[in-house]
Amino acid sequence: MIEKKFQLHLPSTLGCEKVAMDFAASVAKNMNFPADRVEDLKTAVAEACINAIEHGNKMDASMKVGISLTVDRDRLQVAVHDEGAGIEGVASPHLDSKMEGKTDRRGWGIFLIKSLMDEVTFESTPEGNVVKMIIHLEK
Amino acid sequence: MAKGHEVSIRPKGDVAVIDIKGDVTALTGQPIEEAYRQVTAAGVKKILLAFASDCYINSGGIAVLIGILAESKKTGQSVRMTGLSAHFQKIFAMVGLTKYAPIRPSEDAALADF
Repeated sequence: MIEKKFQLHLPSTLGCEKVAMDFAASVAKNMNFPADRVEDLKTAVAEACINAIEHGNKMDASMKVGISLTVDRDRLQVAVHDEGAGIEGVASPHLDSKMEGKTDRRGWGIFLIKSLMDEVTFESTPEGNVVKMIIHLEK
Repeated sequence: MAKGHEVSIRPKGDVAVIDIKGDVTALTGQPIEEAYRQVTAAGVKKILLAFASDCYINSGGIAVLIGILAESKKTGQSVRMTGLSAHFQKIFAMVGLTKYAPIRPSEDAALADF
């Protein structure tokens, strides 16, 4: 099977991540991913886009978030790019600590992405940050 | 881009049911927080968060709910949740929210659980 690639670009505005969710879900459904995995993918893509908008591009609406989908026979790779400087590592979130107000109540995005996707990598390049996520048709 | 969101309060005996429709995000969290503050000011000790099954909930929305659960813990309120899709039930369990606000399969089951 020849690899197929799809691309989408979004402005860095919160809410636009829903366009990326629908875009990724449409491709995944076409590949016959089961419904629960499509939901996993939608959340992971949304969180990667939110991170790119908020932390990578610092909510600068003129900066773009790029979403690239690469369809292979038995897997879908999603790459979410921003144009920002490197993002510092984020500690694993701990609910009790957030409930007690010891840490910021936000900060679940990377945890959700790692929990829901089969493979995840984070890269910082001179052009920006890239999150690559892979989901396999048969987990 | 946000789907029309709507938050309303219904009394059910001594329980305040907060109905939540649409997006639950950092951008749309304020009406949920306001509904919570309103029932708390009225002295309600039992709260049911009733989500529409097609709610979009992201990490910002999870943070809003953590804020409400943290406050309810301080004030000694009991919180239950219902209506969530299977996906968000899974997400809430992964995050640990179900430790502080159990999810029940229906409104009746949640009301019976207080």
